[in-house]
Amino acid sequence: MLIMTNLEKTFRTDLVETHALRDFNLEVKEGDFVSVTGPSGSGKTTFLNIAGLLESYTGGTYMLDDYNVATLNDKQRSRLRNEKIGFIFQSFNLIPDLNLFDNVDVPLRYRGLGSAERKKRITESLEKVGLGNRMKHLPSQLSGGQQQRVAIARALAGEPRFLLADEPTGNLDSQMAKSVMTLLKEINLQGTTIIMVTHDPELAMQTSRNVFVKDGKICDAADVHTMPLASNQ
Amino acid sequence: MSRWELGPILRAMTRNKVGAILIALQIAVTMTIIVNAAYIIVERHTMMQRDSGLDEQNSFYLTTTGFGADFEPKRVITEDLDLIRRTPGVVDAIQINAIPISGGGWSMSLTTETGDDADDVNTANYMTDEHGSNALDFNIIAGSDFVASDVRWRERNQTDWPDKALVTKALAESLFPESPWQESVGKTVYIAEDEPVIITGIIDKLQAPWIGWSNLEHAMITPEYLVSESTRYFIRTEPGQRDRLMAELESTLADKYPNRIIRDVTTLTDTRERSYRQHSAMITILTTVMFLLTLVTAVGIVGLTSFNVNRRKKQIGTRRALGATQGAIIRYFMLENLLISAGGLLLGVVLTIALNMALIEWFSITALDWFYIPIGVVVLWVVGQLAVLGPALRASRVPPAIATRTV
Amino acid sequence: MFSYYLKLSLKSIRKNPYLSGLMMIAIALGIGASMTTITVNYLMSSNPIPHKSEQLYYVQLDSWSPHFPAQEPNEPPDQMTWRDANNLMDAQQAFRQTAMASSGAVIEPPDRDNKPFMASLRLNFADFFPMFDAPFLYGRAWEYADDKAGNYVAVISKETNDRVFGGENSVGRPITIGGQQFTVTGVLDDWVLVPRFYDVTTGAFKGTEDVYIPFAMKELMQLPNGGNTNCWKSPEGEGFEAFLQSECVNYQMWVELPTQADKNAYMAFLNAYAEEQKALGRFPRPLNNRLSDVMTWMENQEVVADDAQMMMWMAFLFLLVCLLNTIGLLLSKFATRTGDIALRRAIGSPRSAIFSQYVMESALIGVIGGLLGLGLALLGLQGIKQLYGSFVSDLVELDLTMVMLAIALSIVASILAGCYPAWRACSVPPASNLKTQ
Repeated sequence: MLIMTNLEKTFRTDLVETHALRDFNLEVKEGDFVSVTGPSGSGKTTFLNIAGLLESYTGGTYMLDDYNVATLNDKQRSRLRNEKIGFIFQSFNLIPDLNLFDNVDVPLRYRGLGSAERKKRITESLEKVGLGNRMKHLPSQLSGGQQQRVAIARALAGEPRFLLADEPTGNLDSQMAKSVMTLLKEINLQGTTIIMVTHDPELAMQTSRNVFVKDGKICDAADVHTMPLASNQ
Repeated sequence: MSRWELGPILRAMTRNKVGAILIALQIAVTMTIIVNAAYIIVERHTMMQRDSGLDEQNSFYLTTTGFGADFEPKRVITEDLDLIRRTPGVVDAIQINAIPISGGGWSMSLTTETGDDADDVNTANYMTDEHGSNALDFNIIAGSDFVASDVRWRERNQTDWPDKALVTKALAESLFPESPWQESVGKTVYIAEDEPVIITGIIDKLQAPWIGWSNLEHAMITPEYLVSESTRYFIRTEPGQRDRLMAELESTLADKYPNRIIRDVTTLTDTRERSYRQHSAMITILTTVMFLLTLVTAVGIVGLTSFNVNRRKKQIGTRRALGATQGAIIRYFMLENLLISAGGLLLGVVLTIALNMALIEWFSITALDWFYIPIGVVVLWVVGQLAVLGPALRASRVPPAIATRTV
Repeated sequence: MFSYYLKLSLKSIRKNPYLSGLMMIAIALGIGASMTTITVNYLMSSNPIPHKSEQLYYVQLDSWSPHFPAQEPNEPPDQMTWRDANNLMDAQQAFRQTAMASSGAVIEPPDRDNKPFMASLRLNFADFFPMFDAPFLYGRAWEYADDKAGNYVAVISKETNDRVFGGENSVGRPITIGGQQFTVTGVLDDWVLVPRFYDVTTGAFKGTEDVYIPFAMKELMQLPNGGNTNCWKSPEGEGFEAFLQSECVNYQMWVELPTQADKNAYMAFLNAYAEEQKALGRFPRPLNNRLSDVMTWMENQEVVADDAQMMMWMAFLFLLVCLLNTIGLLLSKFATRTGDIALRRAIGSPRSAIFSQYVMESALIGVIGGLLGLGLALLGLQGIKQLYGSFVSDLVELDLTMVMLAIALSIVASILAGCYPAWRACSVPPASNLKTQ
């Protein structure tokens, strides 16, 4: 369960006060696949950062599985991220000096798992994304789509409850984007809650719920099937 | 252990071999220099700590050179010594041919039997009277001191020797290695292979004039005054009286007999400083080199690590997003440095020993004590860790939100 | 192109002021340390008389004991006996020759208010002055005839002339040395020899003497021995004369031999002399006579101190560390510019242009570092002067050669340090990074 109530995020400089988020209310249930859309600068990424405990907020409350996020210190937040949240980034964020195996291994080590357990999880998750035979390759030897699959494998290996995806197909061509989307849907079907930020309405349409953010507020929480931009599919 | 990321760090390092190798080499050469320098420093320091046996803080000496046809050395020396010894604040004063640790003096070789090819022992030779023990602050630990009637005048160009001598314990042991030093008293040694001298007393400690000499502890005293226009007085004062007496005696002596030059009025502390100056300079220079070198290496590590932190900002943010605590990020950089240092220090141990061997070969340096090496390793390891700490802390403060930023 | 690269380099240096500064300081420290120690070594080992150092020879005769050499393994004594010095001088077999000794005596200025003082003496023959290019301010050297006749003549240093005669031309005037009246034949100008090669027995970096008088005065005035006296057997008999005739060595001998043939002839003469002495019952050792030219003799006498050499090698290692440091920093610096490089390559810069640009940047850092290093070397030399005291003050001058060397060294070092990073930079494939940047 992820519940945001009257969430606010304000950036202050000496002269200006910018409201990145205001009166932000959202509840994401177990097993949801929520897409977050909105124009550039609407606060999508700020929302995702706060949801993923990457950034703090300035007002309101955010409960993640009964934890009041505001009360957690950095270490507890790191732990929560590690155990409950998986990330998928637009530019993949694989570590270029590490091979695929070691890349997927990164979050598992932070959790302190034993080496046999880690090996099992890494192999399984890489196999799940279809890269089981390339564990010794470096990210630079892969295509963009393959790199994003590795990133997904890295997120999955930790068996997170929440998967946060930030424009996961933004750097991919349509063919690759499609296969990544298919993969995400599969993962969602297996019970992982997914929150995906995207500017692509076509992707948003494939999720179970869309949230439209504008000027730091949720303007329009619509059911996918009543979305104004729904295609004639 | 899995949190320690040893394997991934090592594997990531092989992707950036050159950077790691450069730091490792730098650490290796730094270790080579500072360990050898430290050894030389300690060696020189130990050398400088050697005790001359004199009451150095309260002693000084001066040279007087008389001129003119009517100069009478014997009368002047006798009267001078009498005057100086009666001056309040003076503990004792002697005429002496050479000053310990001053760099200039007399030496000769002694044998324990006569004949051309007898093994000889080199020793410094001092000539003074029965006040020697008091002025030079030594004790007779066996046998007896000179008495006034032992002392003779050695005329200019006189080449024979008195029949009595005091020797240091170290010299006695070198002359008669088979028997305890106490038994040397009463034994005869030969100067210039044929002139016998009887050892009448053993001195606890008195150094030769040459601090670099291997026989520094070898000294022999014969009971005689030197007849010479140019003569040296060694004066020991009561504590705190030295500087006053230096000025006072210089003018008193000059006034008493104007046809002479009084020169080189010098304290023993200055003499020690001058004799050991080369070594204290070496210590200062090497200490500076050690300090600067460690600083350069440390600053180099800081610079390179800072650069790496900047370059890996996104990666750090990603790691944080994936659940790395701030501690884990710090640990990562510290561990990375620890591994690079380990490689460098391993090479450093080899190079240190190699440089030491080269120094032994080319210069008069002795072999390094083994424990300098582990100390050097630990010190540089710590320096490396401290140098990395700053950039690592900065890395740990990279906001995790940087991971979602698309540049 | 040069000025364009220079402009780019300056811009790049200004863009990372701390990093660039760090590199410059590292190079400056390395160059400073190296230059300080190189200068000391260079001056210690410098040739004090370059135009004729190969024509001046130090003479050694092995007159030592039958049982052991003067110095291991089989070195002849480093000085000569009175007897041999006089015999060789009497023979006059070289183009020029001088036997020498050092001593000291009181000088009594004629002016009663001017206090007597102790002066260092060199006892030598007339040839000493032309052989060693002694510069005269007034007058000239005495004649060989004065040496033969035992005339009381003296050449005095400028300093002595200032002290005794108030700096006036004192040629022909009397001076009292050791209670004896001498006539001044010449006054030397400032005479600095580094090292003071003609007599290194008590240290190579002492000044030249206050007063020079004929060698024969040793005997006539019974002057005390200066320097080191070594004997392998005691003088036979008592008194000053017995000492002079003994096997004790306290005298140095130099000859000037302009050609190799002269040298061979003199060597043959020395060996013949030694055989002659053997016939008289002296020279019990096998023939072992030496003629060493100035630089060979300096090397034999180990004029360059061990400590100075040791410091120089350590300073080179120091420079190496500083260069490794610079290579590392340059690598990192250039690595952040792959985007820029790729762009340049994409718009048609050849690889060589990129390489030149980055090597130029390294060289620029090197030159600035080198100049700073020169400043540090000056400080370092001041420090050495402080530490070792005034007796090395002649050793701590930076001359033009050294300045050029410092700049050359820093440029070469920094270009060497810059090559690998520049090569790495120019092997960035064109446009590879354009997309993801």
